[in-house]
Amino acid sequence: MKTLKYILSLAILSIVYSTAFAQKQTPPEGGTPRDFQLPEKKLNKLPNGLSSTLVQYGAIPKVNINIIIKTGNIHEGPKEVWLGDFTGNLMREGTTTMGFKTISRKVASMGGSVNVTTGLNQMTISGSVLSEFAPDLIKILADVVINPAFPAKEVDRLKNDLKRNLTVQMSSPQNQATDKFRSLIYKDHPYGRVYPTEEMLNSYTLEMSKGFYEKNFGAKRTVVYAVGKFNEEAVNKAIEEAFGKWKEGPEVNYPVANPVTTNEVAMIDRPNAPQTTVLMGLPTLDPSKPDYLSLQVTNSLLGGSFGSRITSNIREDKGYTYSPFSTINTGVKVAIWYEQADVTTEHTGASLNEISKEIKRLQTEAPSKEELQGIQNYEAGIFVLQNSTPGGIINQLNFLDLHGLSDSYLTDRVKNIYAVTPEKIQQMAKDYFKYEDMTLVLVGDKKQLTKQIKAHQDARKVK
Amino acid sequence: MPAFLLAVALVACTGNEKTNETSFKVPVDYYKLDNGLRVVLSEDHTSPTVVVAVYYNIGFRIEPKDRTGFAHLFEHMMFQGSENLPKGEFDKLTQRNGGINNGSTRFDFTNYFEVMPAHMLEPILWAEADRMKGLFINQDALTNQQGVVKNEVKVNVLNQPYGGFPWLDMPQYANENWFNAHNFYGDLADLDSAKLEDVDSFFKTYYSPNNAVVSVVGDFSSEDAKKFIQQYFGAIPKVELPVKPDISEPVQDKEKRFTKEDLLANKPAIAVAYKMPDRNTSEYFAMGLIDQLMVQGGDSKLYQKLVQEKGYTGGVNGGINYLGNMYNYNGPMIWMADLIYDANVSPDSILNEVDKAVAELNNVTQEDLDMALVKIRSSLYDDIGGFFGVGRADLLSCFALFDDDPSRINTLEEEFKKVTPDVIKKTVKEYLRSTNRTILIVDPKAVNP
Repeated sequence: MKTLKYILSLAILSIVYSTAFAQKQTPPEGGTPRDFQLPEKKLNKLPNGLSSTLVQYGAIPKVNINIIIKTGNIHEGPKEVWLGDFTGNLMREGTTTMGFKTISRKVASMGGSVNVTTGLNQMTISGSVLSEFAPDLIKILADVVINPAFPAKEVDRLKNDLKRNLTVQMSSPQNQATDKFRSLIYKDHPYGRVYPTEEMLNSYTLEMSKGFYEKNFGAKRTVVYAVGKFNEEAVNKAIEEAFGKWKEGPEVNYPVANPVTTNEVAMIDRPNAPQTTVLMGLPTLDPSKPDYLSLQVTNSLLGGSFGSRITSNIREDKGYTYSPFSTINTGVKVAIWYEQADVTTEHTGASLNEISKEIKRLQTEAPSKEELQGIQNYEAGIFVLQNSTPGGIINQLNFLDLHGLSDSYLTDRVKNIYAVTPEKIQQMAKDYFKYEDMTLVLVGDKKQLTKQIKAHQDARKVK
Repeated sequence: MPAFLLAVALVACTGNEKTNETSFKVPVDYYKLDNGLRVVLSEDHTSPTVVVAVYYNIGFRIEPKDRTGFAHLFEHMMFQGSENLPKGEFDKLTQRNGGINNGSTRFDFTNYFEVMPAHMLEPILWAEADRMKGLFINQDALTNQQGVVKNEVKVNVLNQPYGGFPWLDMPQYANENWFNAHNFYGDLADLDSAKLEDVDSFFKTYYSPNNAVVSVVGDFSSEDAKKFIQQYFGAIPKVELPVKPDISEPVQDKEKRFTKEDLLANKPAIAVAYKMPDRNTSEYFAMGLIDQLMVQGGDSKLYQKLVQEKGYTGGVNGGINYLGNMYNYNGPMIWMADLIYDANVSPDSILNEVDKAVAELNNVTQEDLDMALVKIRSSLYDDIGGFFGVGRADLLSCFALFDDDPSRINTLEEEFKKVTPDVIKKTVKEYLRSTNRTILIVDPKAVNP
């Protein structure tokens, strides 16, 4: 092997020499960074409480229209998991004047389709069409939101689709891990109930979904976003005409969760699995807290970016895994941080050991200014990209709206990213990344895991 | 506000050929260096970011026969450092200056791209030229990436229900020629047996300027880009490229049907694949419209029949080239649809609905085609505007590599417009015949929890 290496490096040297770059080169400097300004947004509010946000963006003649309603799985009862999804799927089936097929054809001839998604906190009815059809799409989406037909003949089919979907989703190890992890941390709050039982799905009726709709939909909970290229006057007029007479409906009302810090270890057996799905983490700061941005920068340095310490260690150094990542998962006034990785079964214990080492190293020693500045540059660059597509712009503005943040969250973000110091990162690591407090879920071959869990138990003892 | 003003200016200077409100022309500046390197520049000043994409004309179809998965493993090695930039430094140069980078291996190309703040154009072009010149190939990096890639195969295929279905499986069942029909992700044993000399030889054979295109899209001046590209890529020597092997597929004359057991899945699934007409023929463009009519969106025939009318499934996937789109490949291809269903439904009742949908295509009207055309135009705009400019760079690079003509990006719509109901009928007869298809059924064998 040694000989081989020698020959190869000679070969490379000869290439380098022949192209007249005899000495080791360093990259040229970049130019002067250019200014980035957030695109201008135009806000409006109708007398019934419905808000709209319009942003002209880009050169491509398309527009994204999202109607976002502040309800979702969070408003489901303990025996109603996915009732929100069932309701959304029924709404998609048509309005009192147009069936699914008619709507689909109309929107297809605008170059788009109608999407209905049910999230934890929000339901989104959306489409993306050629610019000139912006007002027409708004009218159709409004009809779906305001006048759903709730056709009885589609109930059984849609319930069956949800049951099939449940079975398929529960066969993925990542979903099994998420389900367990959230139930351990969020307990009885809807955030802790990711999947229903088949019995629950069987119990859902047309009346239950109508009830969910009546209780949770209305103008006060709704924001309409239009981002892309479009005629502003026509879009404003369409929003007023389509939504102006809608019922005010209920006020925004989110039951706030109380996530628990528990260093429980849960194992889900997946006999002979070649990998273990590792999910570990704990409750953390939510976006309304002053230190949230410092938390994001710390996450990015520790595990949240490709160049982060955990990823460099268990992927680029050890080769234990392909796609490890850490993230801050936010809810309303709550958040959890976790690291997730699918690691080779025999390296499960070693991976946990390396993760704990990286956390403890950051708690013991502040990062160098250079390392931190790299992460700050990365976060600033990602922020520009997050605001450089119509979909991304909607995400950013919706994030502000959901979490009740002021514009300065976005406008001062780059400045604030660069204000974070190495000492602050170390302090954040000490305060919010306590390995010994983390909930750990492992989905994998149990007989292999029980042998390796000692690494985790040992790591937990070192505070 | 500046972004908006710039956007208006761009349309004003490029969109003057047609009066149609939704027309949009992509600026294309195409030329070659003396060493054969193709260069495509396309300015777009919407956001202060720039995309640099380098596409090599080598995909996973053509990899050594006893080294399945090697083209992809090699892609990983391109991130493992050069003499000038040791391992990890390329990632630092991009990410720690506010950008992102990635690469991927497809049927007919391997690509590397960066999305950067605009002022980083010069150092990134330098770094791409640097790794085109040579890699620091060493056993530690290879061993590490063998581990990473094996984990990638495990997380995406071996430990996943429906892992590899149908995107990785179907080409292996539908095709006859090894180049199209082998496991592109690689057998773990083949990945393990990769050697340093394989890496070296693959690099020397295929990674040369005359087998590559550099595309730059975004907020830059063409004058600067041309200067940097000449400066950093101009001296890299061209090499003699090997003769391309015969990757053609024989004409299929019999329906093929296979069943694959899946120990992790608990619902059956089915995929139906038809061999595509040759790229850029009128039948090929007809297939683009047929794809829209058959399987794209809630209005499509298969969605209407299989989801809405029969309730066999909650959704149907489908398209031309599951590892990209109908534009970014250069060889035999399949059009495919797939879905997950319940055990009480027979595969033949699903195929019966597919057959009915195909038969209906013979009655397609000009109005139907007009709607399919709007859908195509809209999705083409998504490609051109999407992913911060990477989608545009992808089309430009592929049209430069495969057709020597990146400006095709602006004439695609014209090609689709030429398709008449008669061309659709002819295409259905020749290509959507049951004897031209392969059916793959997933037999779920998971022990239910």
